Amino acid sequence: MIERLLELARRRADGGADALWRQVERTSVAFEWGRLKAAGVSEEAGANLRVSHRGRIGVAGTTAVAGTTGVATDDVGAQHAAPLLDRGLASAALGEELDLVFPAQAPLPAVVTFFDRAANASLDDLIGIGRSLLEQLEREGCRVNVTIERETAETRVANSAGAAGAYRSTAIGVSAEVWRIAGDDVLAIGDAFEGADLPSDAALAALVGSVNARLEHALRVVAPPQGALPVVFTPPGLSALLLPVTQALSGKAVLQGISPLAARVGEQVFDSRFSLTDDPLRAGRAASRPLDDECVPSRTTCLVERGVVQRFIYDLETAARARAQSTGHGQRTIFGKPVPGYTNIVLGEGGTLGDVGAQHAAPLQLGGGLLTEIRDGLLVDELIGVGQGNVIGGAFSHPVALAYRVEGGAISGRVKDAAVAGNAYDLWKRVGGFGNDARWAGSRYTPSVLLDGVSVARR
Amino acid sequence: MIDRLTAALERSRADYTEIRVERTWSTAVGFRGRRLESATASEDQGGFVRALATGGGWGVASFTSLDRLDAMVARAVELSRAVRVTPSIRLAEVAPHQADAILDLDGDVRGVPIAEKKRLLEAYNGELLAVSDRVVDTVASYRDEVSEYWYVNSEGTALHELRPEVTLSGTAVARRDGTIEKGLESIGLRRGWNSVQDKAAGFRKAAERAVQLLDAPMVTGAAYPVILDPELAGVFIHEAFGHLSEADFVYENPQAREMMTLGRRFGKPALNVGDNGAAAGLRGTLPFDDEGTPTQDTPLIKEGILVGRLHSRETAATMGERATGNARAISFRHPPIVRMTNTYIANGRGSFDDLIRDVKLGVYACGAFGGQTLLENFSFTAAYGRMIRDGHLAELVKDVVLAGNLFQTLDRIDHIAGDFRWNQMGGGCGKGGQAPLPVTEGAPHVRIEEALVGGDVASRSR
Repeated sequence: MIERLLELARRRADGGADALWRQVERTSVAFEWGRLKAAGVSEEAGANLRVSHRGRIGVAGTTAVAGTTGVATDDVGAQHAAPLLDRGLASAALGEELDLVFPAQAPLPAVVTFFDRAANASLDDLIGIGRSLLEQLEREGCRVNVTIERETAETRVANSAGAAGAYRSTAIGVSAEVWRIAGDDVLAIGDAFEGADLPSDAALAALVGSVNARLEHALRVVAPPQGALPVVFTPPGLSALLLPVTQALSGKAVLQGISPLAARVGEQVFDSRFSLTDDPLRAGRAASRPLDDECVPSRTTCLVERGVVQRFIYDLETAARARAQSTGHGQRTIFGKPVPGYTNIVLGEGGTLGDVGAQHAAPLQLGGGLLTEIRDGLLVDELIGVGQGNVIGGAFSHPVALAYRVEGGAISGRVKDAAVAGNAYDLWKRVGGFGNDARWAGSRYTPSVLLDGVSVARR
Repeated sequence: MIDRLTAALERSRADYTEIRVERTWSTAVGFRGRRLESATASEDQGGFVRALATGGGWGVASFTSLDRLDAMVARAVELSRAVRVTPSIRLAEVAPHQADAILDLDGDVRGVPIAEKKRLLEAYNGELLAVSDRVVDTVASYRDEVSEYWYVNSEGTALHELRPEVTLSGTAVARRDGTIEKGLESIGLRRGWNSVQDKAAGFRKAAERAVQLLDAPMVTGAAYPVILDPELAGVFIHEAFGHLSEADFVYENPQAREMMTLGRRFGKPALNVGDNGAAAGLRGTLPFDDEGTPTQDTPLIKEGILVGRLHSRETAATMGERATGNARAISFRHPPIVRMTNTYIANGRGSFDDLIRDVKLGVYACGAFGGQTLLENFSFTAAYGRMIRDGHLAELVKDVVLAGNLFQTLDRIDHIAGDFRWNQMGGGCGKGGQAPLPVTEGAPHVRIEEALVGGDVASRSR
């Protein structure tokens, strides 16, 4: 445990302390433009300490934690603990005033975060995954980039109130990108697998299928439509519509008075089939963990249920200020202070989450069955500039990076030089339909979604 | 340290080995509204090894425990051998250098108590808040660091540098009823404490802008003649063209090479673009890149014609060109990849008034909230805009989003003024999971004959 550090802190910080220790090892393999190019490892260990002293909070972090043996052990070396605490106390001397109560020990939920198969995979195993992807994705006139990354980590958190937790975790990231440049037309289509365990053969096949399906439909370029149209957003394409909502559901935004959802708990704000959950207990996901980085046990948090706003996410400090309870969303790195952050976000239709866990839904079909009723519209897979500007307000306007025209219920080709715009809150009030293709895209699980009346402009 | 690293190199059994070690002291202070959010001091240290064995790929190892140096050198060599590459990786020739460079610390931030840094930021944050009671929230941050840097490679290069950096930023959030607007001030310098004094005016201006935008109409989406201010023009050239000129995008992709053939016309003769990692006193400036190659001024577009690109030693060797000193890594956690330094549109002629004089209806797009490029397509959000009517600046407008196709847009730059300036902003550039990398952009006022301005896209499509 980080006992030595906390023991020292207990003696010198009158309001107590908490700390996080994390050791991470990564192995990565990169195939660049179709050939195996590099292999790498990284080892990193560090500690983050927070102290409460004379009513003020201080934070300090360090990667100088190696013990006297020179090997990073599971504790902060004696010679490093004192300077780290000194810096924490110096930070607290002018830190923010807050009556922070560190939580006592509570039972932790069971969640599997460590997969032997992932941890034990050899360099050759990882290279093998890459080669197999490469073989399946290579085609005339295209170049393929593939990266495979495996991470094993050990996390320990503890506080002066006696709470402590530790877990080992694994994470695997496999990403593939096919590039096709024809004249001045640059097309890049990629997809990624992210999980705590190695991908199954089926998951890799789905990844290949996903890239190929989108590539085939992209080869033909057609003129974009124009007007207020039905638009289907694929799971990766939904970012622009979900980002304002997740930002507005952060207790921090509420506290700052900038969340449009602040005073709307209990109100029907979204379509009655719109439910949003954050789930740190989801099996096989890299973001899952038994407790957060502030010793608060993990639990599933329902943010929006059937269109009604339920609650916001909090870490300890934001909760203390808002006179709320931490929802177990404290996230911290080696440097800096904890902040509220999501784990696995699940968008479900009417609260029924169904078979959440599959990386890709099968059979893989672009649009998840939502295209058949569309006479003229758009299927959006990737937008440019998501996250820029005044996101939380809900208004967005983005050129498309990858989008397809839908005519007579089917994809007619890829559109370039088009932009979509709208207001996320307005659009979520009335959902045209949820697709049958729910999947993970990063740490978000969603189906495709049909929204009516999205502004589509060509240029 | 250099001796220790050189000894470790000697034990490497690879054809080529390089080691980088960094030790960084940093402090960060943050305000949110009137509240101090954090004031922290951190220490970060670690090393990076990269090796090339005969016929092997890159073997890479990074670590935070320096006692693991020898083990990690051995591991990198082992990894290189495990990755067979044909044809084998070659590196462009670079003469070995030995240098000990102490960059101008301009008031070493390590000697300034954190309480004083807090006071400085509190004052600037106070400027934001004092502008109006419409300013309901602020985010202000101060960050400084001094990084001690060592680099050695098996060809005899040995470098030691002390690199300072200081960044200041402030966002004012103004609100009236449901309308929320932002104003941003951002300063980033490869200097020290003295350089961030007397910056209150810029913070005030940012807050005033946020308040003014509350009353500003949304720009009507359409194609307009657009004048970019030097800040947005700099971001534009970095995002829309700079990334394409990074040779790791083209060097092993025949179609990309064809698209970026030297000699291809990219713009009108008025357009000159380059990247200068050796420009004095800028945030993207360093004497050497992270492969030990001296930095330089690299012309990219000369009189509208593509004349150069940015290289690492590997991309230069593959393409039969010279290394340009653009292999950079954000820290010991990462390998060097091809990056920009200080990217610029060179000075033209005439004044801002010359650019707008004959514009009947246009947009003056100023400042940058952000930008993203997906190769040929880009999107930029300006901080604010002014309409241009009959040759004169008119009303303030908001939500000015520029979107376009790189090739078309570069070709439509028809007038470049003679009022060049470097924009020393904070933040930085992101690529390949490495962000933020300190870079600078510079440009004069630039006119685009016609560009699509988003904003109220809905009204355009009706």
